[in-house]
Amino acid sequence: MLEFHLSNILFTIVNLLVLYAFLRKFLFGRVNAVLAQRAALVEEAITSAQTQNREAEELKTQYEEKLTDARQEAAKIVADAQTRAQRAYEGKLAEAEDDAKRLRSEAEAQIASEREVMLRGARNEVASLALLAAAKVAEKAMDRADDKALVNAFLSEVGEGA
Amino acid sequence: MEELGSHTAFTIPLFGGIPVGESVVVSWIIMAVLMVAALLLTRSLRVQNPGKVQVALESAVEFLNGFVKTNIGSHWRPFAPYLGTVALYIALSNLIGIFGLTPPTKDINVTAALALMSMVLIYGAQFRYNGLLGGLKKFAEPMPLLLPINLMEVAIRPLALCMRLFGNILGAFIIMEMLKFVAPVIFPAVFSLYFDLFDGLIQTVVFVFLTTLFTGEGIKEEE
Repeated sequence: MLEFHLSNILFTIVNLLVLYAFLRKFLFGRVNAVLAQRAALVEEAITSAQTQNREAEELKTQYEEKLTDARQEAAKIVADAQTRAQRAYEGKLAEAEDDAKRLRSEAEAQIASEREVMLRGARNEVASLALLAAAKVAEKAMDRADDKALVNAFLSEVGEGA
Repeated sequence: MEELGSHTAFTIPLFGGIPVGESVVVSWIIMAVLMVAALLLTRSLRVQNPGKVQVALESAVEFLNGFVKTNIGSHWRPFAPYLGTVALYIALSNLIGIFGLTPPTKDINVTAALALMSMVLIYGAQFRYNGLLGGLKKFAEPMPLLLPINLMEVAIRPLALCMRLFGNILGAFIIMEMLKFVAPVIFPAVFSLYFDLFDGLIQTVVFVFLTTLFTGEGIKEEE
């Protein structure tokens, strides 16, 4: 019952060592390798997710900054356009006013000169008629220069009175 | 008394005859079973989408790793496969009585070999990780007064491991044989549940747990 056989002890030790070597290589080694691979995989997934998160966050801030910039830019552009339009409008208005004024003064001047010409024409006509009439009355030709001057002076007096 | 002894299966006709015990032959069967099972189970391991068998296998190995890690500490990695091997071997040895074979652990030579291996593991690790001087210093811990007791433990620990396993399995074997003799129907089956299954597994756990504990005691760094 309690006999020790050195051979059996040695055989058992060899058996154990062989079994240990075999199981370490084919059972524990393989399973542990798979576990390590899975752990690495999970770690990698977590790291990549974190990286992506950080990148997304960065992109978001960038976009927000860009958006704010764009909004400011747009506001500036609109304001610029408004001032420019205002200025152009005022310029056009002033020009139009000037034009209108100029046209009016031109028209007035023209009217005045036409009136002058007409008046002068009319006066000459009237003077000729008067001379004619006077000649008819005097039964003589009154076409000398001093006669004409006389009639004109008369007419001027009358015109001023009228 | 003839039944209780361990038989010699055959003798190698070398150097005046080397006896090969029955326990050694049964151990070979157990080794063959374990090797074939290991090869079959690890045939198609996948990192993603593991099957049910693989999940169970991984849980078992992770349990072993965790157990060894808690008891040995940061240097746990090289010890886990050996302790797992011993656990599988002892468990199968203790349970093989169910299949009508003689449990190898009923042979004191087998348990002595296991205990010797444990002793080499425990004290080898102590010197391997602490250096010669640090390993020697470990014998004076927790206080120098315990030096003689610690030195005696070098012999007592393997002896206790050896005798505990051997005694339990032999005792269970004797009781089972007596039961089979007294009441050959039904009773042996019921008691076999306790003596072969429960006791066999408990003794496996005890042996592996104590070996792990002692190894951890020798190399665990103090926090």
